[in-house]
Amino acid sequence: MSSMDRGILSEFDLKRKGTRAGYIIMLVVIFLMAASMVYPVLTTAFNGLKDNAEVNSFPPHFLPQTWEWGNFDEAWNYIALPTFLRNTLLIFGGNMIVSVLVLGTASFSLSRLHVPKRRSIEMFFMITLFIPPTTYLIPNFLNLKDLGLLDSFFAFWLPAGANAFFLLLLKNFFDGISMEIFEAARIDGASELSCFIRIAVPLSLPIFATLAIFVFSTAWNDWFWPSLIMHKDSHYPLSTAIYKYVIQAKMLNLNIKFAILTLVMLPPIAVFLVFQRFIIRGLHLGGVKG
Amino acid sequence: MSQDIVAATGPQAQAGRGKARTLLRKYGWGLAFLLPAAAIFILFLWLPIIKGFFYSFYHIDFVNGDEFVGLDNYRTVFSDPDVWTAVKNTLYYMALCLVMGFWVPIVFAIGISEIKRLQGVFRVAAYLPNVIPVVVLYGLWRWMYDPVGPINAGITSLFGGEGVSFLTDTKWSMISLVFMETWQQFGSAMLLYLAAVLSIPRDWYEAAEIDGAGIWQRIWHITLPSLRSLILLMLVLQIIGTSQAYQSQLAILDGGPVKATLTYALLIVKYATTRLDMGVASAMGVLMFIVLGALAIVQYRLDRKGDR
Repeated sequence: MSSMDRGILSEFDLKRKGTRAGYIIMLVVIFLMAASMVYPVLTTAFNGLKDNAEVNSFPPHFLPQTWEWGNFDEAWNYIALPTFLRNTLLIFGGNMIVSVLVLGTASFSLSRLHVPKRRSIEMFFMITLFIPPTTYLIPNFLNLKDLGLLDSFFAFWLPAGANAFFLLLLKNFFDGISMEIFEAARIDGASELSCFIRIAVPLSLPIFATLAIFVFSTAWNDWFWPSLIMHKDSHYPLSTAIYKYVIQAKMLNLNIKFAILTLVMLPPIAVFLVFQRFIIRGLHLGGVKG
Repeated sequence: MSQDIVAATGPQAQAGRGKARTLLRKYGWGLAFLLPAAAIFILFLWLPIIKGFFYSFYHIDFVNGDEFVGLDNYRTVFSDPDVWTAVKNTLYYMALCLVMGFWVPIVFAIGISEIKRLQGVFRVAAYLPNVIPVVVLYGLWRWMYDPVGPINAGITSLFGGEGVSFLTDTKWSMISLVFMETWQQFGSAMLLYLAAVLSIPRDWYEAAEIDGAGIWQRIWHITLPSLRSLILLMLVLQIIGTSQAYQSQLAILDGGPVKATLTYALLIVKYATTRLDMGVASAMGVLMFIVLGALAIVQYRLDRKGDR
């Protein structure tokens, strides 16, 4: 083993009995951690497949004794999932478009164009990162009400552009694109606008993908804020609807409840497993600042 | 957007002021590209932040119109015993998050960094709960903590006895929430720590070992000092984040049992939604802003340091 292959422990350490035992205990603990992460996910899915008497039996079984696939039919029809799903996707799509248009142009400008008083303008945007959102949660709601946006999807779409964290993410990305490309384009007679549309945007597709993942996870997750600003049932996104009609439901059978939760849980897990690389990279880009 | 520019260039060019024209040529595009973002930031971020201060001096009434009440909202806040309960609960919650949760990602990051094979599987597994919608977790964990749920089944079969009322016992309710949130959230912090641990040059350990440093000494004198600035930043972020917590408290227990999980932010939400007094809610927000503002300055300083 070369010195670059080792970690804190060397091969020599692992030959000693005590250390070896400690290492194995560590492996077991890490394995248990991983199992405890996966167990609740599987349990949700399996509970959704049991019959109702079995979900409520004590002690609980892990695997269903009879596999009730029909639960999922019932779960699908219990609430209007397609409507709520459509709302969530509408919010996601609109938020994404506004973020890309508004923050894409602004970050390109801050990164590449001539701007007077650049420091002050950057401060104007970035200071909002340091103001805790809960402190203006209710004023934010009142502001949207004053603007007449309550119960409208614009209450999600327009504020989506007011995100200093995404602005920072995009600006850092544009900072990394080499200046020569733009200079070459400018010499060839390209305007700033066509520099942005024909060079910056195509180059920044990976960072937009990272952005899309953040925006998706917010749209899919957020339940409380939509419940404040949307008043009609038919306007709720999926999470809010699940909270109101499934989590808070008193009369709903437990197995059907779990079947619904499984249906809601699977799409983001699938997205995560497929785009794992992007997501974990996005986390590193954004984790510390977020 | 290009139309804005055309409109702005027209009259300026006719005025024929050379200086304005050069300034416009220099800065026109830059400012035009910033304009939509500036408008949206003002309208949806700065406006509510500033309005919050004004709302805190008003009684908000959707039907009869707002009424100026001076410091009344603040008097209500300071005389409401629930506010003090909420402050105490929030501090308790923050302390629990530090004691039960803060070290977990660091320990697992160091542990997983030592695994040679299948490291990727453990990373994905640890991050998995982060991608499950929180409403699903609320439903799931209510069942997990149920008196006849799997955790109690495990406890009673191992130790016998009555089991624990995780959610309905005031001693346990907050601890149960913190445990759930640690389980859900430690993965993302763990991945950040893991990247930092893996970026430590391996030959430092080699050199330390040759000098006779044991395993714990290597961790204590090399690994942890290398993580110091990240640990500090995560600490500040966690304190800022946990001081604003209300969602799981609201969704799982609605602040109960007997206000045991009523946090300050949850009380803000309750003043706005069930007590229908948005002025008081705004005043509580302003007070929170003042306290957290100090912390935010610390975060800002740390951030600057990290950038350099």
